[in-house]
Amino acid sequence: MTDERDQGLRVDRRTTIKWLAATMAAGYAGCTPDDKRLGDEIPAARETTLLGTAAGPGTAGYGTDPDLINPVVPWARTMTEVQLRTTAALSDLILPEDGRSPSASAVGVPEFIDEWVSAPYPQQRDDRVRILAGLEWLEQQSRDRFGTAFADAGEDQQSALVDAIAYPDTAANLEEPAEFFRRFRYLTVGAFYSTEAGIEDAGYIGNVPVAGPYPGPSDEAMAHLGGVLKQLGLSLPT
Amino acid sequence: MSVGERYDAVIVGSGAGGGMAALVLASKGLRVLMLEAGRHYDPYTETQMLAPNRTAPLRGESTPDKEFGFFDATVDGGWQVPGEPYSSAPGSKFMWWRSRMLGGRTNHWARNSFRMGPYDFKPRTRDGLGVDWPIAYEDIAPWYDRTETLVGVYGRNDGLENHPDSSPGVLHDPPAPRVGELFIQAACRDLNIPCVPARRAVLTRPIDNRSACYYASGCGRGCSIGAAFQTTTSLLPMALATGNLTIVTDAMVYELHLNGKGKADGVAYIDKKTGKQQSANGRAVVLAASAGETARILLNSKSAAFPDGAANSSGQVGRNLMDTVGAAMGAQFPLLENRPHYNEDGAMGLHLYIPFWLYKEQARGELDFPRSYHYELGATGRGEPGMTMGNLADFAGGYGKKLKEDVRRYYGSFLSFTCRGEMIPNTDSYCEIDPETKDTWGIPTLRFHFKWSEHELNMVRHFQNATKEIIDRLGGIVDWGDQSAEDAISEGGQIIHEVGTTRMGDDPKSSVTNQYGQSWDIDNLFVTDGGVFASKAHKNPTLTIMTLAWRSSEYLAEQLGKRAL
Repeated sequence: MTDERDQGLRVDRRTTIKWLAATMAAGYAGCTPDDKRLGDEIPAARETTLLGTAAGPGTAGYGTDPDLINPVVPWARTMTEVQLRTTAALSDLILPEDGRSPSASAVGVPEFIDEWVSAPYPQQRDDRVRILAGLEWLEQQSRDRFGTAFADAGEDQQSALVDAIAYPDTAANLEEPAEFFRRFRYLTVGAFYSTEAGIEDAGYIGNVPVAGPYPGPSDEAMAHLGGVLKQLGLSLPT
Repeated sequence: MSVGERYDAVIVGSGAGGGMAALVLASKGLRVLMLEAGRHYDPYTETQMLAPNRTAPLRGESTPDKEFGFFDATVDGGWQVPGEPYSSAPGSKFMWWRSRMLGGRTNHWARNSFRMGPYDFKPRTRDGLGVDWPIAYEDIAPWYDRTETLVGVYGRNDGLENHPDSSPGVLHDPPAPRVGELFIQAACRDLNIPCVPARRAVLTRPIDNRSACYYASGCGRGCSIGAAFQTTTSLLPMALATGNLTIVTDAMVYELHLNGKGKADGVAYIDKKTGKQQSANGRAVVLAASAGETARILLNSKSAAFPDGAANSSGQVGRNLMDTVGAAMGAQFPLLENRPHYNEDGAMGLHLYIPFWLYKEQARGELDFPRSYHYELGATGRGEPGMTMGNLADFAGGYGKKLKEDVRRYYGSFLSFTCRGEMIPNTDSYCEIDPETKDTWGIPTLRFHFKWSEHELNMVRHFQNATKEIIDRLGGIVDWGDQSAEDAISEGGQIIHEVGTTRMGDDPKSSVTNQYGQSWDIDNLFVTDGGVFASKAHKNPTLTIMTLAWRSSEYLAEQLGKRAL
C-alpha cells in the first residue's frame, strides 16, 4: 500500500508537468474561434504559479481501524488561500444559491475539496493533480483574457471560460481542462448534496428510525407510480 | 507455550461457521476454545448507526484503508490486510477479502439468505458437470428451518422451482416493496419473470434481546440493535452465556498439530499482541477460518503422514475454488424523474429480487449455459445523498441553477440490476501455498489461480440481454454495464463468496470431508466454513454455511459424547 502511494506521488509530479506543458503548448487546429483564443492567449511558459503552491499532501491516512464513533480527518488541508478562493468561485458557479438552497461555498464545499485533494490515498492523489493544475489553468485564462483573477471576474466572464469545458462537445484541445471540470463538478455536487442543506434540497427523508413495520411508499408516491405504469401499458402488481 | 487446558473442541474462526459451531457445542456442555485472528470487536459500542456520511473523512467514501467506506464495520481488513499478503498466479487475478475482527465478515455482509434447492445439491445429476453433494436437499431442509429460526430471516414462501419454502412460521414478514421495486416488478410480470420478496437475515420482529429492524442505517455498518444478523450480537453472546466458551482474539492459527496416532491434537498460533508462538489443545479441531484460510492452514501443516498438507490425501485441499458470478447494469428511467418523495431506506437492502426462472427451458436444452443466477435489484433510487450524487451532474452536464434543477429531477430515476450466478468448479481455479512469500508472522501465504469458463460468460450474456428487455419495457436508457461479458464479469473472489477448497463428498479419493465436514483422513478434524461446498449455487452462501455447521456440530457433539473419535 505504501509503495502504491509513493508511486502516486511520482506520477503526480510527472502528470502535473505534462499537463501544464500541454495546456501551454500551441496546436489548436480545428477549434472554434473562441476556443482558439482561449488557447492562444496562454503564455508560452511560466516560471511561477498564479495561485501559489499547495503544501505537500498528507502521508498518513486514518488506518484500517479508525474510531467510527468519533471520526477525525488526520491529514491537514493544504490549499493556498488563493486556490481556495478560486475553488469557492468555481464551486459557486456550479452550484449557486437559489430559492431552495444556499451556494456551494456557503456550506463548506471548498474546504471539503481541500480535504479531498490533501488526502494521502491514490484516488485523491490523482484528483489533486487534476484539480490543482485545472485551477491554475482557469486562473491563467481569466488573467490573460480579462485581466482579472477568476475569483474576481464577473459571472459572465467566468461563464465564458467555463462554457468551453462544461459540455460534452468540448473541443479536442480542451480535453484535459474539460476532464478537470468534470471531476471538480463531481466533487462539488457530491460534497454539496451530502450536507444538511443539500440533503434537504434533494428531498432525501430517510436515516430516521421507524417504529413498527416499514410503511412503504406514501399514497402520493403510489398514485404517481400507478400513473407511470399506465403510460407503459403496465399495472401495479397486486 | 500452551494455553494449558485441553478443550473438547478448538474452533478456528468466529464468523458464520465458527460462531454456529461454538454455540452448538457449548450448548451441549462441551468445553470450547475459539481462536480468532482479528481483534475483539464490540458491535454495541463500536457501530456507527446513524451518523450521516458527511461526518466521516472524505464523506465516508471508499479508500484502501476502508474499501467499503469509512463507516463499514470491517476492522483491519479489505482486499489487502497489512502484513498479510497473498498473490495471484501469472495470468490470474483473484481478490481475497478478509476482516480481522471477532465475528469476521458476518459483521458487514449483505444478509441475503437464499436456501439452496434440490437441483443445487445434485448439479452433476442434472447437467453432468461438477460434482454432486453427498447430501440431498431433503437431508438439510430441517436444518435450514432451525437455522432460519435462530438467525431470523425475512421473506415469503412462493413455492418456486428450486427455491424451497421454509416451514410455516419460520420466516419473518418481508418489508413492503418500494417504488423502484414495484416498477421493476410490473415489467417482470409482463415479461413472465418472477419478482418476489427477497430473503435476508434481518429481523422484522424481535428475537431474544435483538430488536426488529428500524429501517435506517446501512447493514454494512454492522447493527448495534441486533436486527441485521451477525455472530457478535447473537451466536457468540449466546455461546458465551453457557459458560463453556472461551474466546481468544488476535490468535493467528498457522498449523494443525497431530499426535502420534495421526489424530488432531490442537493447533499452533501466533499471539499477534506479543508475536509469540502458542498452542491450544483439544479432543477435536474445527476449522472455520474461511475457505481460503482453512486451506492455507491445512496446506501449511505438512508431516511425514501428510507430505502435501494435513487431511489432503485426496489432493483436493485448495482445489475447486469457486466464487459467485457477478455482473451488473444500470439504467436511467425518464418516467421516474421528479417522482414524489417518501422514506425509501427500508431495510437498507433487497425487499424484492428476481430468482432464476428458466429451469424448464434449461432442462429442455434451450439455454446455452447450464446453471442459474438471480437478480439483486438496486431499486432504492434515493439513498442518502453522498459523493455519488456527482454522477447525476455527469449525466445532466452543465452547471449553475439549471444543474440544481437537474439534480432534483434525476435523483431517484436510476435503478441497477445485479447478477449473482453459479460458477462450476474447474481445474484452473484453486489456491496453493506460494513458495516465495511469507506474511509478517512468517507464515507461508496463499497463491490463487482463477479462471471463468464459457459456462459463466454465457450466463452473463443471458443476464445482460434479459436486463435490457426489462429496462426497455420500462422506457429506460442503459447508463452503464452494457459491455462484453468478458469485461462485465466480476474478478474471482470479488463477490466474496469463495468456497470449495475442502469440499465434502462420498469418496475419500475426490473429496476432503464427508457430509458432516469431517476429514476423511483425520476423524477428529472438522471443517464448518464455505470450504466444504461441493458446488457454488447462485445463492449467497452464508445461510448454508451456518446450516451445514449446525448439522456438522451436532454430529461432532454426538461423536465426542460417545468417545468415538
